[in-house]
Amino acid sequence: MKRILLGSLLAAASLNAFATAPGGPGCGWGNMLFEGQRGLPSHLVASITNGTSGNATFGMTSGTNGCDTSGALAYHGKSMIVLSSIMNELSEDMARGEGEALTTYAVVLGVPAEDRAHFAAVTSQHFNDIFSSADVTAEQVHAATLAVMKQDAVLAKYADQA
Amino acid sequence: MSIRLLPLLLSLLGIAVQAAPQPDAATLQRLADDPYWISLGHYERQTFGGWRSYVDDADFFLADDGERSPLAELAATIEGLHAAPELAGAHPQCRFPSRTRWLRQQLVLDDLPVVECAEFDTWYADIDPHTTVLVFPDAYLNSPSSMFGHTLLRIDSAATEGSGTALLSYALNFGAMIEGMDNSILYAWKGLAGGYPGQFALLPYREKISEYSSLENRDLWEYQLDLTPEETGRMIEHVWELRQIRFDYFFFDENCSYRLLELLEIARPGLRLIEQFPLTAIPADTVRAVKDAGLVQDINYRPSREKELLARAAPLQPAEVSWARALAADTGLLEDAAFQALPAERQALIQETAYRLLRYQAAGQERDAGNAARSFRMLQAINQNPPPRLEITTPTLPEDGHESRTWQLALGSQDHRAFAEYGLRMAYHDLNDNLAGFPLGAQIELGKLRLRQYEGNHWQLEELGLVSIRSLTPRNQLLQPWSWQVQTGLERVAGKDGRQRLVGHLNGGAGFTWHLSEDVLGYALATLRVEHHRDFAATLSPAAGFDSGLLWRNRAGNLLLEAQADYFHNGEVRRSLGLTQQLELGRNLGLRLTAQREFSHWSAPQNEVMVQLRWYHY
Repeated sequence: MKRILLGSLLAAASLNAFATAPGGPGCGWGNMLFEGQRGLPSHLVASITNGTSGNATFGMTSGTNGCDTSGALAYHGKSMIVLSSIMNELSEDMARGEGEALTTYAVVLGVPAEDRAHFAAVTSQHFNDIFSSADVTAEQVHAATLAVMKQDAVLAKYADQA
Repeated sequence: MSIRLLPLLLSLLGIAVQAAPQPDAATLQRLADDPYWISLGHYERQTFGGWRSYVDDADFFLADDGERSPLAELAATIEGLHAAPELAGAHPQCRFPSRTRWLRQQLVLDDLPVVECAEFDTWYADIDPHTTVLVFPDAYLNSPSSMFGHTLLRIDSAATEGSGTALLSYALNFGAMIEGMDNSILYAWKGLAGGYPGQFALLPYREKISEYSSLENRDLWEYQLDLTPEETGRMIEHVWELRQIRFDYFFFDENCSYRLLELLEIARPGLRLIEQFPLTAIPADTVRAVKDAGLVQDINYRPSREKELLARAAPLQPAEVSWARALAADTGLLEDAAFQALPAERQALIQETAYRLLRYQAAGQERDAGNAARSFRMLQAINQNPPPRLEITTPTLPEDGHESRTWQLALGSQDHRAFAEYGLRMAYHDLNDNLAGFPLGAQIELGKLRLRQYEGNHWQLEELGLVSIRSLTPRNQLLQPWSWQVQTGLERVAGKDGRQRLVGHLNGGAGFTWHLSEDVLGYALATLRVEHHRDFAATLSPAAGFDSGLLWRNRAGNLLLEAQADYFHNGEVRRSLGLTQQLELGRNLGLRLTAQREFSHWSAPQNEVMVQLRWYHY
């Protein structure tokens, strides 16, 4: 219940924060998750300065590159922050059924080590339910994942506490 | 700004409230001279005595002359630790947890006021430091400046070790602070020359992976260090002290690697790392230093997205690669009968190649709905028919490559005149140098000096190269990058009366390179040159030309066969044909054989042969 409330809070926030909140279109699947440019000059600058632009970020408030994380984000919001920043990698891993991003997702959802392989198999089987379209948002993926977990005997208990 | 005045004002009040017992002068001096205090303040010994901190920020110091006086800063810090606890977050105990811990231990300060440092505590708990990993983004062939590499740290929590995922860790990065997102060469120049301040940033490691792996196509090497959780924690406490603090940033010496080595010395007192780098700190060299100090426990290789794309496509036949490209352009072809007729395993490989190609094309661009839709369709196809896991052989470790500076000794003959040649190249690697740890076809040279002593004790400056960069990136069925080069400096060319003149030059070229076979690159570039030649009428003389050749990686070393021509506007035509073979004698030793024939309108063709010993050292 708390999860859903938090999720809707974030979704509501996203309507105001122009296209950058977790769940907003700019932060959805398939997006290039960071501002950057390609081409030789940017490579040159990047490798000489190795730097950051603007005020150097310093820890948990340094959101998810383009995905705004301002607003009331309790510690529980961490899974959403993590999810929105690894959406692309997660979708790939889930399609294949293994990978670092998929493991990370299991970790932030609170799935313990012994059940992570099962989590990977189940989510991969239900890939189309979780990543239901090319425009899916982090919030939708999160909700769908919990729904899938609830259907599974082993994973259901984690869905409630996540 | 008020952050600075407030504690000053309040600590004055603090003095009235609670007089801080200062230790005696001898103890103060001993502590101020302690190597640990010196490293906490990032002090550097000055040439004529005295100290100066690398930190270029008044917020870092409690004493007015803290930047130049470790003693004054020590006294002010001890004073500050006793300030009224009402300061809370602005209290020196909260701003300087690392100094607090050390001074509390050294002076047995049991009577310090208890201060609540909520912000620090929350931050520290979130980082949850347990393990430190040194990360080295490797060179990217089409960006030779990346050959210098970079170093950053990854801070893992206790949970990371068990989970096997680094995506929840933090990256600690020191880099130049650039204003704006301009990409002009001016910014590169400023970075080199110290025009930017440097700062530490702490950000999710997954962002760094995205940046290096997808945007810059650089592999990542992760060296797990054997720092204990306490040592990692000590280092992170000090990192808090450096939040938003500005340093000088110089690409060559006061750079990312130098700062990270300083941090490692703070983590483990007694480590001697930065003294090995009095002049320059090239990241690959600093990785070596860390390894030699016995700090590396484990090494993990993380290939770039581009490398993964090429590896996935490697086992495909040309027809299958065509399928992959076609699918990437039109995912409807998945239903095509001809595609369905292919064996399932081949379909799986082709599908994933198509997907990776789409993602590669999308990198760095604004979100394109078409690309996203096609990528998504491919993902669904992959889900139905997943390929086997991608295995990529770990290449040579970057620190196992030759060292950065090259000392050269040669004997040769130019048109029957014998000479000895003495050379020094400050950095880094050319097309013929020992290849291990470097990409084939990449060259970056800085500060190249060659002096010749001809028979009869006639000395001559043969070359003073400032910069020479060559990027010969091969094109293939999937990716078609440009090849390019840029060179500037002084070199000897034909002059009037058959003499050799020293000229200043700037030249560049662009073109293409192909893999003629597994170990052979063929390249052709069109070039433009501008020269200042005493025997030419004009001050600056332009020329157009070409540069083409073969680079063959054979069992002895690299062989380069090169043909060059410059057609000057003023009528002079210079051509040259050269053959160079390197014999790799050891990791840091090579023997180079060169034969060259040069043509010019001003003299008869000239031949030169040379045998050169190259020692890669420091």
